[in-house]
Amino acid sequence: MPDVKLVNVTKTFAKGRIVAVDHIDLHVRNGEYLTLLGPSGCGKTTTLRMIAGLIEPDEGMIYIGDKLVTGLPPEDRDIGYVFQQYALFPHMDVWDNVTYGPTVKAWIEEKRDRIGREMLEMVKLYDRSDAVPRELSGGMMQRVALARALAAGARLLLLDEPLGALDAKIRFELRYELRKLVNDLGLTAVHVTHDQGEAMAISDRIALMKKGKILQVGTPQELYMKPKHVFVANFIGESNFLEGYVVETDDRGCIIELRGGLIAHAIDKTRRKGERVVLAIRPETLSIEKGHKKVLNGLPGYIERFRFEGTDVRYEVTLKNEDTIVIVRPALMGEWINEGESVTARFSPDKSYLFTYPTAGLRRELALE
Amino acid sequence: MKGSSRRKLIARTAIFAVLTSVGIFVLLPTFYLISFTLTQWTEIYTDVFVNPLIGDANWQQILRFSALSFRLSFVAVALDFLFGVPLAYFLARKRFFGKAFLEDIITLSLVIPTSGFGVATLLTWTGISGLGALIGKGIFEASYVIPFINVPFLMLIVHVALTFPYIVQTLQAKLEDLEPAFERASRTLGASAFTTFRKIIFPLSLPALLSGGVLAFARSLGETGATMVVASVHTTAPMAIVRWVSEFKLATASFLGFILIIVATVAILSVEFLTRRGGTFKIPKFFLAFRIEDKILKREKFLSGKSRWIKDIASLSAVAIVVVLPVIVVLASVGTYWSVDPDTGLFRGSVLYQLFGPPNYFNALMKATSTSFLVAAIATYIAACIAIPSVYLIERYRFGRILRYLLRIPLIVPTSALGLSVLLLWGPSGLRLAMPGIWLIIITHMVFSVPVVVESTIAGYEGSEIRMYENASRTLGATPYDAIETVSLPMLKRGIFAGVILSFTRSLGETGATFLVMGSDVTVPPLVVNMAEALAIPAALFASAYLIALSLLLLLLFRVVVRR
Repeated sequence: MPDVKLVNVTKTFAKGRIVAVDHIDLHVRNGEYLTLLGPSGCGKTTTLRMIAGLIEPDEGMIYIGDKLVTGLPPEDRDIGYVFQQYALFPHMDVWDNVTYGPTVKAWIEEKRDRIGREMLEMVKLYDRSDAVPRELSGGMMQRVALARALAAGARLLLLDEPLGALDAKIRFELRYELRKLVNDLGLTAVHVTHDQGEAMAISDRIALMKKGKILQVGTPQELYMKPKHVFVANFIGESNFLEGYVVETDDRGCIIELRGGLIAHAIDKTRRKGERVVLAIRPETLSIEKGHKKVLNGLPGYIERFRFEGTDVRYEVTLKNEDTIVIVRPALMGEWINEGESVTARFSPDKSYLFTYPTAGLRRELALE
Repeated sequence: MKGSSRRKLIARTAIFAVLTSVGIFVLLPTFYLISFTLTQWTEIYTDVFVNPLIGDANWQQILRFSALSFRLSFVAVALDFLFGVPLAYFLARKRFFGKAFLEDIITLSLVIPTSGFGVATLLTWTGISGLGALIGKGIFEASYVIPFINVPFLMLIVHVALTFPYIVQTLQAKLEDLEPAFERASRTLGASAFTTFRKIIFPLSLPALLSGGVLAFARSLGETGATMVVASVHTTAPMAIVRWVSEFKLATASFLGFILIIVATVAILSVEFLTRRGGTFKIPKFFLAFRIEDKILKREKFLSGKSRWIKDIASLSAVAIVVVLPVIVVLASVGTYWSVDPDTGLFRGSVLYQLFGPPNYFNALMKATSTSFLVAAIATYIAACIAIPSVYLIERYRFGRILRYLLRIPLIVPTSALGLSVLLLWGPSGLRLAMPGIWLIIITHMVFSVPVVVESTIAGYEGSEIRMYENASRTLGATPYDAIETVSLPMLKRGIFAGVILSFTRSLGETGATFLVMGSDVTVPPLVVNMAEALAIPAALFASAYLIALSLLLLLLFRVVVRR
């Protein structure tokens, strides 16, 4: 079971004009399922391809196990790679696709046949051995692709948006199947996706990337509960952002004056008086009450829009200072409040986070590209 | 109701007119030689097989010349594959400085007037101003035959130079289309670059390789202009047709032309049929015996290592030697021969003397130039008028596919057979539509000009979802005609222009057919052949350089149109 280490890895395209991956360090532990998550163009696929050896980094080193693999062609890295568009060879049937790795590695015949059979049975497609790829459904094709990658004997599985081309239902099913398989076989996996739900559901740890840099690495819970960066707070789940200044600090935290003179308390003790900050509150941690009430962390406003979304209801509240925040409540709890009514939105100080106001501006920092 | 039935009538009339023009001006001349041979069979049989004077000597000659042609074409195509495949892979997969230039060189060998190129090659290998300058005499005798395969050396390298682009371009296009994930998948599964090529890329691009191979083979089989110049004592089948027609041995000539047309047609139709049916082939597993596979895999692994650049260098050098070098030599030699023959030191052997002195080739050249341009312009114009509506028929109607296959045939039929066919059909011994001369040349060139424009326009049509845009325009209230005028034609503009330039260039360089139908209206390429045969080398040199320079200009124009 190999671990993967990336040390100071950089890749540029178009003669250095486009920096796809910008001096990143990453350690994927043995037997870990790690997801590279980020918006399109953030460098996650480039990173995966560099681990696979499909492209070479401009700078930095990549280790698989203890072996330095930079400069080694992909066929010598003992990896399994699963492609978004499956990349099943169209001129071969399922069996020939799955046993391709053993064949080109010139393994003895019995071993090849045994492994081909095992892998196809594992993905429950042994009875479709004679089918050609175009006769299979998307989900089946991706399972064959997975069996093919594993049959080559890889202990490190690299997955490039493996579920991206599938229908929503099948995507959900395959997500758990994939996770279980990697667990059962004790593989190390690096999975690339832009779908945060998928990343949260499947990963041991997530590395969130933006513009060629890794912003935060951690378990799904850590990224959700303790985002280290305003982009992370926005990309994992959803957040309301309110701008303001620290007006007072004490041993319990600090007090922030938001735009329009609204006051909020936070438990962050690291802030200095006068610092410009962004207060992030998740929509699902806000509660809502009719009428304007003077309570701790109560933000007065009125309901601009109400949406019923099945499990949840969603309110867009325009605050007194003209900022808009979103509140999400379980649909079957409490009574619904109509559009236009005055309300107070409330949040608890320990469920909000403070970030230093980004020098490039909040909007720019939250932008996906 | 009334309007729509009138519209239908107009549409039917238009379809009828287009099909008739294609039939009369393209397909009829292509296939007339076949029906001529069959209807005149007794006469031809007597002349070829049981001639009262010479017995079956004509047949023996046909056999000998055809054997040389087929041998030459097979060896040339084999070499095309050897150099063309790595080159196509290189061009499809790598980005590098000078790539556009390399692609231009490859296009150049498709559009270069072949007789001029023949002079260039002849000079490069046998003259002392070419490669011979290095050792003080020609490298080879013009008649040198490569032992064992028994193919004249000069003919072979000329044919490789003129045919390898078919392999490179079709394969390159296919490789660029091919999902790169297949290759990546194969590499990550443990296959080396060579193994990946053999097991993945090769089977997936086999249809393209086959059709490229057939085009190259057909072109080589029919090549006349350059072959005549470098032929020395050897004779190929298409050359024989030209010679026999000039000796009025029409029966023997048409029998040979008949054979060539049948071979070319069968070749292209069978490949079309094979490749259209499945799209991909299942390759029989020759190497299933694991021990052999094992060894192959090791070799491939070794070849994929550090030495893989050797094949790239080899194919690049091959292109440089067979294409670039002759062009440079001929352009440079005009300078060396300008005022004096470098061999003898005599003024009589100089370009100046032959052009403006007593031989006065300059006048002949100017006259031929104006004929050439007139022919190319008229033939291309009429061809475009027929070709553009033909593309619509091909794309819109079910019979279009058949029309498209049929239109491929004139492109690969040996042009001297084509010329003979036109001569027999429209010429003095046929329907007497035109006497040998400029009009008969134009009618002959139209036979291949129409398909050239059609192919190029179709490429534009299929690459851009014109049907969708036309539908959009119809839903916005445009009539079918408006839709064509405001949407389709502007979108097809580049494809049409490209086709027009290609057709013009091809007409400008055509030799084989023109020889048979030109009468006294000589165009430039036959003039070059005549000069070379009259051993007026400096004049031939100048005319070749002039032709090549013209085609370079047209290539530049083509590039501007295509790459914009």
